[in-house]
Amino acid sequence: MPATVSGGRKSETSGLAAGSQRRKGRWESAAFQGPSLLVLVLIVVFPLIYSATLSLQSYSPVLPDRTGQWIGLENFRRVLHDRDFFNVIIVTLVFVICAVTIETILGTVVGIILHRLVRLRRAVTSLLLLPMITTPLIVGLMFNFAFNAQFGYLTWVMSKIGLDPNGGVLNSGITALAALIFVDVWEWFPFIALMVVAGLSALPLSPFEAASIDGASTFQTYRYIMLPMLKPVLVVAILFRATEAVREFDKVFILTGGGPGSATTVNDLYQYRVSFLNWDLSYGAALGLVTFVVVLALCGVLYRVLTRNEAQL
Amino acid sequence: MSTEHSYISAVNESQNGDFMSNLRKKAFPATISVVAVSLLVASCSSSGKDSASSSSTGASTEASGWSQECSGKSLNAIAEATANSQIIEKLLPDFKAKTGIDVTLEQAPYDSLVQKAVLDFNGNKGTYDVLSIPYEYLGAFAEKNYLANIDDMVNTPPTGVGPDFSTADIIPSLWKLSSNWKDHWYGMPSNSAVMMMFYRKDLMENPEEQAAFKAKYGYDLGPAKTWQQYKDTAEFFTRPAGATLAGQKLTEPFYGVTLAGKRHIATVLEWMNYAWSDGGDLFNKEGYPALNSPANISALEYEKSLTPFAPPGFTSATWDETTAALQQGTAAEAITWGDTAGAMEDKAASKVVGKMGYASIPTAKEGEATQAHLGSWTWAVNNAGPNQNCTRLFMAWALSKPVQMDLAKGGGLPSLTSTFNDPELISSLPYWNQELVSLNEARPRPRIPQWSGISDIVSLELSRVLSGQASPQEALDEGQTKFEELMKGALPVTYQ
Repeated sequence: MPATVSGGRKSETSGLAAGSQRRKGRWESAAFQGPSLLVLVLIVVFPLIYSATLSLQSYSPVLPDRTGQWIGLENFRRVLHDRDFFNVIIVTLVFVICAVTIETILGTVVGIILHRLVRLRRAVTSLLLLPMITTPLIVGLMFNFAFNAQFGYLTWVMSKIGLDPNGGVLNSGITALAALIFVDVWEWFPFIALMVVAGLSALPLSPFEAASIDGASTFQTYRYIMLPMLKPVLVVAILFRATEAVREFDKVFILTGGGPGSATTVNDLYQYRVSFLNWDLSYGAALGLVTFVVVLALCGVLYRVLTRNEAQL
Repeated sequence: MSTEHSYISAVNESQNGDFMSNLRKKAFPATISVVAVSLLVASCSSSGKDSASSSSTGASTEASGWSQECSGKSLNAIAEATANSQIIEKLLPDFKAKTGIDVTLEQAPYDSLVQKAVLDFNGNKGTYDVLSIPYEYLGAFAEKNYLANIDDMVNTPPTGVGPDFSTADIIPSLWKLSSNWKDHWYGMPSNSAVMMMFYRKDLMENPEEQAAFKAKYGYDLGPAKTWQQYKDTAEFFTRPAGATLAGQKLTEPFYGVTLAGKRHIATVLEWMNYAWSDGGDLFNKEGYPALNSPANISALEYEKSLTPFAPPGFTSATWDETTAALQQGTAAEAITWGDTAGAMEDKAASKVVGKMGYASIPTAKEGEATQAHLGSWTWAVNNAGPNQNCTRLFMAWALSKPVQMDLAKGGGLPSLTSTFNDPELISSLPYWNQELVSLNEARPRPRIPQWSGISDIVSLELSRVLSGQASPQEALDEGQTKFEELMKGALPVTYQ
């Protein structure tokens, strides 16, 4: 992100710059961007090439006959026939779509309410930060206690309001997945809310004034003025959340371990099992690459869908 | 994990670049601060945690026959976070006093320990000089040449060690299973745990309960000898809140049994006890996968039939929850690990001190030979480690009599015959005698390199059955297909 900032500044001043200054500017930008590009190469390009190489081999640090033989696209053929992976994709999609949708709606509503608060805004904003700054592992442990079938306070609350979680919510596939979505929403809707507050405080006042002069109702103002103007912020927030939710791991690992059965085995947990419990590193690398391509494609689609009407604004 | 993390953050950056120019004029400062906070949070949350402690004592003394050749050196060790490891860590100053060697002992949970070990071996780093490894990985690590062969130390009496160490005192069967692979020695037992039956002695001895049980089932109440009795007892003691148990009114429900049902290795290991006594096993006699054998299926049906008497939440329970349920006095019996017996008798953590009984695993029919699942760990020397001689001194010290005695007294488990036969321990620890009895009935799990894959497959299928997603036949059939796929090219298994 720092690279983008300096790039923007450069374009603003470039019109004024003379030739020598321009050359100097180029050196400057190389000097400033160089280190971050180098880091990017080290942490992105190198592992990517390494994974790609590994995915064409058969290697395990544990199995004696797997010493890194070249096996071509065999691992990718296996991905196509892997029923567990197919199941994992479904679970991950359900998790991501449900969690991010609920977070976006709830976050936007809370963000708007928060924006209207005058005195309490700072205090409430700080409170909202709490779930986000809690380590995901700790979030998992907290809810592990809360959902405990015998002693958990959320289990108690649910039984009091008539939602009797027979044997605990974590013990049946559908309710376990719902519980994970609930925990993710609890942890991350404040992120969307804060993005919305930030976006709202930066909006110009004149369109709202114009709308009120024209006699628009509050709903109309929100629906037709504010939401479209807020859209760029929401798009970024949703993309952030979606890409984060795709690599959900900690909470699932602690709360259900992917079970019962494989009802909550999300993508990262599955790859963790393949690579670090079964030590099938090559197959794990192939799964990682496939995920990478799928996520890249999904991001492209999501980006297009979300910005489709940008021109009409 | 880390590579995938970086792919996705790259996606984030490339996608967000375009938005940033839109945003900059509108909400840039506020947005960027939110993003920065969340990134900071994310990076904080993934930072490492392990801080190992090291010992430091006064000057080394030339005492008790221990070699001083490594004086001033330091060793890194890693072991599972258990009672044994905690006690060893406290005793490290004694090792330093005897040999002048500083040891840093890192403790990690099971999965994490295996991962650290494999990554260290795989990178040929030699970070850990000595590792306490679970014996199911012995075959994998030995075949990959990760562990140093210590045949000479076993076959000829080692020099430079104190008189309180003797290889002859190490329990032979335990040592062989934990440390010997294809007739070569790779270590010395660091920890052992054998499964046994824990039961509430106080409830079984209550005259009212005894009379009620006899009236209902037609035989005397007591620690179960057969699986049928085990189930009857579980059913008998399962009571709702408000009912009476041994003359006391219950404020919370009480459960007849507790078991591990999470998709976790704990569930696999417990189930293997049921399967073995039914004649089942993972491989058949010819060495081919036999997960869906009739005996295995009926053992799983049996385990499933126990679940109505288990506390709710058993499908997310491992050995930890089993221990907790027993300690809290909410369940009457369990098939669990002998190394948690110390925790039952720990006044600070347990509500059942003095109330617990310990017995052998039940059998299918009365009088049959009992088979208890063995878990075992071994101190092994890293082949890539620079101080292998010093590491051997550490192993010998850890197996020396005074250290093993301290393990026993501190709630851990030793590996010496003499410590188990110690009359003082037998009379002071209610579980002591049963530990040795169970060790002699112990049976190992396969120690082949494919074990972790097998355990993952079986844990998935057991979890599906216990949570009601599949029938035993269906699940084990599916598991068998995956099992055969996993073992392709490595069959038949003739040595495990």
